[in-house]
Amino acid sequence: MIEEPHKEVIDEPPPFLGTWPRVYGFVLFWLVCVIGLFYWFSRAFLA
Amino acid sequence: MRTLDWVVLFAWIVTLVSYGLYRGRGSDSVSKFLLAGKSMPWYAMGLSIMATQASAITFISTTGQAFTDGMRFVQFYFGVPLAMVILSATVVPAFHRARVYTAYEFLEQRFDSRTRALVSGIFLIQRGLSAGIALYAPAVVLSVILGWPDKYTALLMGSLVVLYTTMGGIKAVTHADVQQMMVIFAALILSLGMALYLMPSDISFGDALHLAGAAGRLNAVDTHFDPNSRYNVWSGLIGGMFLALAYFGTDQSQVQRYLTGKSIGQSRLSLLFNAIAKIPMQFFILFIGTMVFVFFLFEKPPVLFQPIEQARIEREPGYAAVTSEFDKAHAARAAAARKFVAAERSGDQEAKTSAAGEFRGAQKQFDAARDQATKLAKQGNPAYSNDTNYIFLSFVTHYLPVGVVGLVIGVIFTAAMSAISGEINSLATVSVMDVYRRFVKKDGTDRSYLIASRLATAFWGIYAVLFASYGGGSFGALIEQVNIVGSLFYGSMLGVFVLAFFFKKIGPSAAFYGTIVGQLTILAAAKFTGIAFLWYNVIGPFAVVLSALLITAIRKEEARVA
Repeated sequence: MIEEPHKEVIDEPPPFLGTWPRVYGFVLFWLVCVIGLFYWFSRAFLA
Repeated sequence: MRTLDWVVLFAWIVTLVSYGLYRGRGSDSVSKFLLAGKSMPWYAMGLSIMATQASAITFISTTGQAFTDGMRFVQFYFGVPLAMVILSATVVPAFHRARVYTAYEFLEQRFDSRTRALVSGIFLIQRGLSAGIALYAPAVVLSVILGWPDKYTALLMGSLVVLYTTMGGIKAVTHADVQQMMVIFAALILSLGMALYLMPSDISFGDALHLAGAAGRLNAVDTHFDPNSRYNVWSGLIGGMFLALAYFGTDQSQVQRYLTGKSIGQSRLSLLFNAIAKIPMQFFILFIGTMVFVFFLFEKPPVLFQPIEQARIEREPGYAAVTSEFDKAHAARAAAARKFVAAERSGDQEAKTSAAGEFRGAQKQFDAARDQATKLAKQGNPAYSNDTNYIFLSFVTHYLPVGVVGLVIGVIFTAAMSAISGEINSLATVSVMDVYRRFVKKDGTDRSYLIASRLATAFWGIYAVLFASYGGGSFGALIEQVNIVGSLFYGSMLGVFVLAFFFKKIGPSAAFYGTIVGQLTILAAAKFTGIAFLWYNVIGPFAVVLSALLITAIRKEEARVA
C-alpha cells in the first residue's frame, strides 16, 4: 500500500482582502488595467 | 564565448543541479517523490509553475517573434488570469479534497476507469511530444554556441535532467525552479539594460519606442476580431482562457505543481501569483525583442542570424548580389530611421507622417533583402525555414559583455532543463499512478511504486532525448509549435473535466465517447480548416459537451456521483 497523498485538507482564508471572491475580483481588475495599459501603449507610439 | 563565459556557464549549471539534488534529498516515499509530501509554500509552487513555462523556448523564440512580428503575441496570455480565477474557485479545492496524485485519477472517481485511461493516454501523447520539442531548444542553443551536433547537446541536457529529477523527484524540480526564476529575472533585466545601453548615443529610450512603434513592433493589443488571425485580444481572452484552463486545470505537469501545496489556499495563491505576474513577464520578454530590433536598425546585423546557414550561403554564387542589396537596404533603413527620429523631435506632424512612411518603406525593402537571403539558404537546404530562433542568441553572443554572455546562455540552458524536468516528472507520475498502479500492479508496496516512479522518470528523459535528437530538425518558431501541439489535445481534455465539474447528469459512457468525438473534431478542424490554433481550445470542449449531452439523451445513461 502507498501512503495517502495527504491526511487533512486545509482551506484557509486568503492572507489579504479577507475573502477569496475579493481576491478574484482584484485579479480581474488587474487584468482590465493591464489590457488598458497595453492598449494605450500600442496606440501611443504609432506613427 | 570567452573563458569567463565558460566558467560562469558551468558554475551556474553545476550550482543549479547540485541545489536541486540537495533540496530533493529525503524523497523516500511515493508521496514525497511525486507530491513533495504536500509541503510546498505558495511562492515555491508559483515560481515553479512559471519556470516550467519559461523554458529556453521563451528566451529563444519569444524575443525573435517580437523582433520579426512585434508584441502581439502577448495577447495570447490575456486569458490566463480569467482561467486562474476559475480554477482557483473550482478545480483546486476539488482536487485537494479528492486526495489524488493526478488529475486523471479524479476522472475515475467521477466517471470510470476507461475515461481515466483515455485522458491519461491523450496526456502522455501530447506532453511527450512537447517534452521532445522543449529539449530540442537548448540543443539549438548549444549547437550555435559550441558547433556541436544537436544530438550531443540533447544528450548532455537530458542526462543532467534525468540525474536530479530521478534522485530528488518533484522537490528537486520545484526548488531548482525557484532558483532558476530568480536568475531568469536577473538575466532578463541585464539583457534589456544592455540592449538600451548599446543603442547609438543620439538615440534616446523615447526615440527607440517611437521607432519600434513606427515599424509596427509595439502592437500589443489588436481589437479587430478575425478568427483566422492568430493573435488578437479576442482570441487571447477567449481562446487563451480555454487554453489556460486546459493547461493549468488538466495538464498534469501543472496540476502536480499545485497539488504539492500545504493547503487549498497555498495552491490558490500559487495560481493567482501567475495570474498577476505572467502577462507583465511575457510583455517584458517581448519588449526585449523589440529593443533588439531597434538596436539592429543602426548596427548592421548578419544577413542571416543562423550562423551555419550564413556561413554556407557565403559560398553560394548568388551571395554577392544578395549581400549587396542587404547592405544597401540596411543603410537606407538606418538613414530613414534617423530622419524619422528628427521629424518626431521637431513636432511637425506632416514631416513626421512623411518620415514614418519612408521608414516603413525602407523596412519593407530590408525585409525583402532578408527574404532573398532566406531563399538562397533554402535553395541549398530545403529544410531551412527562418532564423527567428537565432536572433536573440546572436545579439547575446556578439554584443553582451564577457561573463554576462555565459550567464544568459546558462540561464537559457537551465531554463530548458527546468521545463523538461517538470514534464518528465509529470509523465512519470501519470505512467505510474494512472497506468502501472491502476492496470498492471494494483497492490504493490510504497517502495515498489517509488522504484517504478524513478524508472519511469528515466524512461521519459531518454525518450525526450531521442525525440529531440531525431525529430527536431524543422520546428520553425518553437514557441508556437509547443502551443499548437498542446492545442491539438487540450480541447478534449478540458471538455471531459468540464463535464466532470459542471454536468452532474453525464455518465461514464457519454463522457468517454464525448471525449473521443471532441478529439476527432479538433483534429478535423486542424486538417480541413484555416482556423487559428487558439480556437481549437474552444471548439474541443464544446464538441465534447455537446456530444456527451447527445449521447446521454439517446442512451438515457445514469450518471455516477463521485
